[in-house]
Amino acid sequence: MSDALLKTRALQSGYGKTIICHDVTLDLAPGEITCIIGPNGAGKSTLLKTIAGVVRPVSGSVTVAGREIAGLPAAQVARSGMAYVPQEANVFRQLTTHENLTMGSWGDKTRTQEACDRIYEMFPDLARLRQTRAGNLSGGQRQMVAFGMALMLAPKVLLLDEPSAGLSPLMVGQMFDIVQRVNGEGVAILMVEQNAIQGLRIADHGIVMAAGRVALQDQASNLLASKEVSELYLGSRS
Amino acid sequence: MIFNALVNAALIAPPAMAFSLLFGILKFPNFAIGGYITVGAFAAYTFNVPLGLPLPLAAAAAMLVTALVVWLMHVLVFQPMEEHSAITLLVVSIALTLIIENVIRLFFSADVRGFEIPLERPWKLLGARITPEQVQIIIWSLVIGVALHCLLAYTWIGRAMRAVADNPMLAAIRGVNATRITAFTTAICGALFGLTGVFAGLDLVIEPLVGWNLTIPIFAAAILGGIGSPYGAIVGALLVGLAEEATILFLPSTYKIGVGFVIIAVLLLLRPQGLFGTAEIRK
Repeated sequence: MSDALLKTRALQSGYGKTIICHDVTLDLAPGEITCIIGPNGAGKSTLLKTIAGVVRPVSGSVTVAGREIAGLPAAQVARSGMAYVPQEANVFRQLTTHENLTMGSWGDKTRTQEACDRIYEMFPDLARLRQTRAGNLSGGQRQMVAFGMALMLAPKVLLLDEPSAGLSPLMVGQMFDIVQRVNGEGVAILMVEQNAIQGLRIADHGIVMAAGRVALQDQASNLLASKEVSELYLGSRS
Repeated sequence: MIFNALVNAALIAPPAMAFSLLFGILKFPNFAIGGYITVGAFAAYTFNVPLGLPLPLAAAAAMLVTALVVWLMHVLVFQPMEEHSAITLLVVSIALTLIIENVIRLFFSADVRGFEIPLERPWKLLGARITPEQVQIIIWSLVIGVALHCLLAYTWIGRAMRAVADNPMLAAIRGVNATRITAFTTAICGALFGLTGVFAGLDLVIEPLVGWNLTIPIFAAAILGGIGSPYGAIVGALLVGLAEEATILFLPSTYKIGVGFVIIAVLLLLRPQGLFGTAEIRK
């Protein structure tokens, strides 16, 4: 897969002297969804943070559309056509919905108006809540603001860290619908998900991480069908 | 009395807003503001008296100088120490105030000075004595409040200032260069401290302790309004101004300086998040 949009090669990262991610090599093709699953502490979130530039890699490479971004600070990675939505604290709570969205186009302020219109069309609920402070929104609405902000500059790649975390079961389903809709507009998505089965169902590819390494990589449908994977990683959770 | 309370409030509102803004971005209470205000007062004095500039020009120059000093202090003193705890930085900022104050004392001596302005007879209004300077302080303070609001609410950089204060990590993820925003914030706040120095020189006197004497009321106003909330700081300033003047009715005016302490103590006991601050709930 040499035409992959996002590539990591032998990526290692961690905090201080502790290495969390070892030798991670993965590819994300244009327009695809790849879902990373694995037990707690497997290094899934750290991997996303490293790709986004929040955690500095120790070694290895990350390229977006052929451009090397490993080691760049997050503020510069933000201009590479890739947007990252963290799991927690992913909106500016003191800013209104609309102000949050505008912060998403900091890298190219001339596109703010057109981008806001596009996001409000995508999430009509947000148009109604544009003057509400993000801190006063419900969990699901806040997640939409976080998505909308990340999509302002029409990224080619979206990194999602546990988009369903902390949402009610009803909202979890809606969240996955939204992920699929965003993907339907041609955005490639690399996401970490605790809801492994639901995550894999909407994904094209799946990656199983364990102890900071890629344990398995396959078509999402194959992972779902695999007896070994369901026993070890999917458990009885559905 | 109401008028004097307004003058007090107008004097401490802009620096209280600046103090709140700085706290929002840097996450520690910066007590060097006393030193910064003194720098503003003496810079304005230097431009006004020895150099003979008219006061409005001298004030503008003093704002520039103070903005530069505050930014430099941030880069030279606080930025290299940003890994340290808020308490450490607070102590450092108190030390910085003492250093600034004494450097000024070294060059200017501890003499009490005043600006070169035409003496005007105070106006009498409903039994209150009102000086033109006091009216100017109130007007300028209002202008500053409105301007700061417009900056924060309607401009890109103001929005980014609030975003960085709210969630610096997310701001970086969205491409905001926090160093630049922080530099801008320190400079804006510096200009406000400089202006406060000018006001203090007009309403009080110019001496090395002028900033230090204002520090406690400013701090009280900022936490009264909910620290980190510039709008709350305005209301906080009004309340502190009123409380200070009300004290004079019952106690000798020497106790006025203690009012800030009492407000701080009571507030920290009853409502640590301030009147308008929101309690942080972390999961």
